[in-house]
Amino acid sequence: MLALAVLLVPAAMARKPAPRAQVTLPFAVDPNPSSYRPLPRTDTIITHATVLDGAGQRIDDGDVLIRDGRIVAVGNAIGDRGNATVIDARGRWVTPGVIDIHSHNGTYVVPLTSIDEKSSDISELTDANVADTWIESAINPQDTAFYRALEGGVTTLQVLPGSSPIFGGRSVILKPVPATIVAAMKFPGARQGMKMACGENPKSQGAESGRGPTSRQGEVAFIRKAFLSAQDYARQWERYARGESTEPPQRDLKNDTLAAVLRGDIAINWHCYRADEMATMIGLAHEFNLRIATFHHAAEAYKIAPLLQKEGICVAVWADWWGFKMEANDGIRENAAILDAAGNCVMMHSDSPLMGQRLNIEAAKAAAAGRRAGIALPPERVIMWLTSNPARALGLGDRIGTIAPGRNADIVIWSGDPFSIFTRADTVFIDGAVAYDRRDPARQPRSDFELGRTGEARP
Amino acid sequence: MIRPLLIAALAAFAAAPAAAETVAIVHARAHSIAAPVPVDDATILITDGRIVSLTAGGAVPPGARVIDAGNRPVTPALMSAATQIGLIEVAAASDTMDQSVGSGPLGAAFDVQYALNANSVLVQQARADGLVRAMSFPGGAATKPFAGQGALIRLVPGPSILDRPKAAMFVVIGGGSSAGAGGSRAAQWVLLRNALDEAKTYAAAPKGSAPRDQLLNRLDIQALAPVLTRAMPLAIATNRESDIRQAIRLAADYRIRVVIVGGAEAWRVAPELAAAAIPVVIDPESNLPYSFDELGARLDNPALLRKAGVTIAFSVAGGGLHLSYNAGLALREGAGIAVANGLPYAEALKAITLNPAAIWGIGDRFGTLTAGADADIVIWDGDPLEPSSAPAVLLVQGREVSLTTRQTELRDRYAPARAEDALPPGYR
Repeated sequence: MLALAVLLVPAAMARKPAPRAQVTLPFAVDPNPSSYRPLPRTDTIITHATVLDGAGQRIDDGDVLIRDGRIVAVGNAIGDRGNATVIDARGRWVTPGVIDIHSHNGTYVVPLTSIDEKSSDISELTDANVADTWIESAINPQDTAFYRALEGGVTTLQVLPGSSPIFGGRSVILKPVPATIVAAMKFPGARQGMKMACGENPKSQGAESGRGPTSRQGEVAFIRKAFLSAQDYARQWERYARGESTEPPQRDLKNDTLAAVLRGDIAINWHCYRADEMATMIGLAHEFNLRIATFHHAAEAYKIAPLLQKEGICVAVWADWWGFKMEANDGIRENAAILDAAGNCVMMHSDSPLMGQRLNIEAAKAAAAGRRAGIALPPERVIMWLTSNPARALGLGDRIGTIAPGRNADIVIWSGDPFSIFTRADTVFIDGAVAYDRRDPARQPRSDFELGRTGEARP
Repeated sequence: MIRPLLIAALAAFAAAPAAAETVAIVHARAHSIAAPVPVDDATILITDGRIVSLTAGGAVPPGARVIDAGNRPVTPALMSAATQIGLIEVAAASDTMDQSVGSGPLGAAFDVQYALNANSVLVQQARADGLVRAMSFPGGAATKPFAGQGALIRLVPGPSILDRPKAAMFVVIGGGSSAGAGGSRAAQWVLLRNALDEAKTYAAAPKGSAPRDQLLNRLDIQALAPVLTRAMPLAIATNRESDIRQAIRLAADYRIRVVIVGGAEAWRVAPELAAAAIPVVIDPESNLPYSFDELGARLDNPALLRKAGVTIAFSVAGGGLHLSYNAGLALREGAGIAVANGLPYAEALKAITLNPAAIWGIGDRFGTLTAGADADIVIWDGDPLEPSSAPAVLLVQGREVSLTTRQTELRDRYAPARAEDALPPGYR
């Protein structure tokens, strides 16, 4: 359930007229709270594994003890196992579950048919500001891509709206567990994100549709205008909360979202490729006191690695996508490695249901390029690009992304080194429950869509 | 007076070593492709741009230039069975793209050879990733279901990458492309059969005037002639089982050479494809139903086809992005995925070297480390099917080729070590 942002006014600060003791600001109320329940689970100990804990440590011949869905111990030869089921992972590797901070699963549904040609659920296209849209309204839990992601070791993903609008709307953070409704996939307590977009996509959309800016400078002016309006809206609500006005302000759903962004309750996920453009958006963030959680795609982030580090902005990148549009021309494979070397919170992201199954291989490619450029990147460091760094960017660093006592038991047992192409996820735990097991057909879920369609190999 | 002499001298210098030089790659873990297991401590001798021999612990002739592979893996350079390198630059900018035509009179006659651009930055990058040969195929033409004629390309440094024009005729058949034929794949098949019939009639009486009810124009009909004589394979880009079965029937009815490109559901037709000797160009990453034609997509498609005896080769789309932008790296990644899903390692290597060469008609000179083959060779810094590996040394036509790309130049310009330079990156 989304934490209710409650504005508490201390009695000592009371003025006339008397403040309302508690006013729940409308920005942060979740009308569709999580109904997620963990799958059936037993206490488990994974033994003799090569453990990459996601916090930068590698433990050879390591054990991980899971109890009631949480990690209770990690280390060598854990003695106090209780009744835990033992999984011998000798020769295998164990990591935190993979976190994909940029997915369109459930909205860029496979198969995308002609029905979606001009009316897909990826983005609402009637305006350049659709901050009032919540992508979770569109999520189809039967998208086969969720199931494939799970098989690839993904245990948390953020589904974002697309990049055609400038303000794309609110994201949702999900667990790729089989479910009939989206609420049952929603990560309890995770804060929503806000999708924003820079550059070519929104200006092309503006020019094609006649609705929205047609230039980069127009995009920036549009953003400033929207946040000025949202500042005013937020002030009206604060005055009301202080009891300075009797009637609540008229609700405005776009400003609801932007006000929550201004308050820092919703993190900005900003699609931006060019270095100069990211710097411009950082300027906007200073002007409006915005918190940019993560730049996504960020093909040229390596050109401004120290600036991004200083600003504390995380960066989500591909290993090797480049060239497909002008603003992606300067993408290089060493992007992640250079950012990591500069101390940035860097991560792999997918944006694609194919790549969303293989973020470990994306990291392998990006790290290898970095090593060839002389940057030291051992596996215990690289795994952070899939685990603790995206967890931090999502504001969930204290719950997922590392194998440490107290953390959710989102864990993958890999058949070998997770950065080898020949390795596969053997077992995927979400909150201590086996959500997928390559060796157990009873734990290999299939989407409704696949039934009667995909067939089996004929002998 | 000095200048012409100098030019003449330089020209002589440039020409001389190519003819005479023998190169010896020593201490290679050589995947010859012709044999299923690698040869350790191999010596590979190269003269005149061709491989002379591959022998375990072979002697180095005097005067040979020696390249020590240091026991690292050595393979033939890679070949993509389907890419659009040379035809595309910035996908979102249509003025930089030549891979297809949407209007005009051309169907089968659309021929990509005339658009190939050796100076594309995609060429240098694919080459630096170890990709030296490819089928560059047309994405679509105006007369459906034809897409036009593909060309074999060879990514040599220099002004031309054209290796062999008119190397295959491409058609596209399926739900996503049927609109151009009126809205049904049934129409696509009828139009294709009719085109072959018209080409047959024309071939029998080329001087006669075309009948009034002929659908194809002179250019398209002439372009189809080599398909009927089996000189040119017909590449049918299609995915659904029913269409693959139609393709098999077409091949039999017209006695033409057919290659399936895509083939997401080809595993369902594996024995029939094997019996008809129809090869399949597969995307080994395809395991999602991107369209209703691909509901049966699965990662063991290559393994199942190979097991049934079908010749397979790889092309990796990566949702479109890896078809050309990272074609070399993606090809190895895809081959590795196929191995992780049951394809024998040697078969995966073959699917990115010899098999595409054989499918498109150059298997006699490319894709193996055997005597007589082109000396297009890669020494890898690790397992060639691990995408984290990269070429350490690349030979094209027996000569070592630079691995510098626009991307490595950007990397070096913005290297962390240069952050404190006094002058901005533009001076580096």
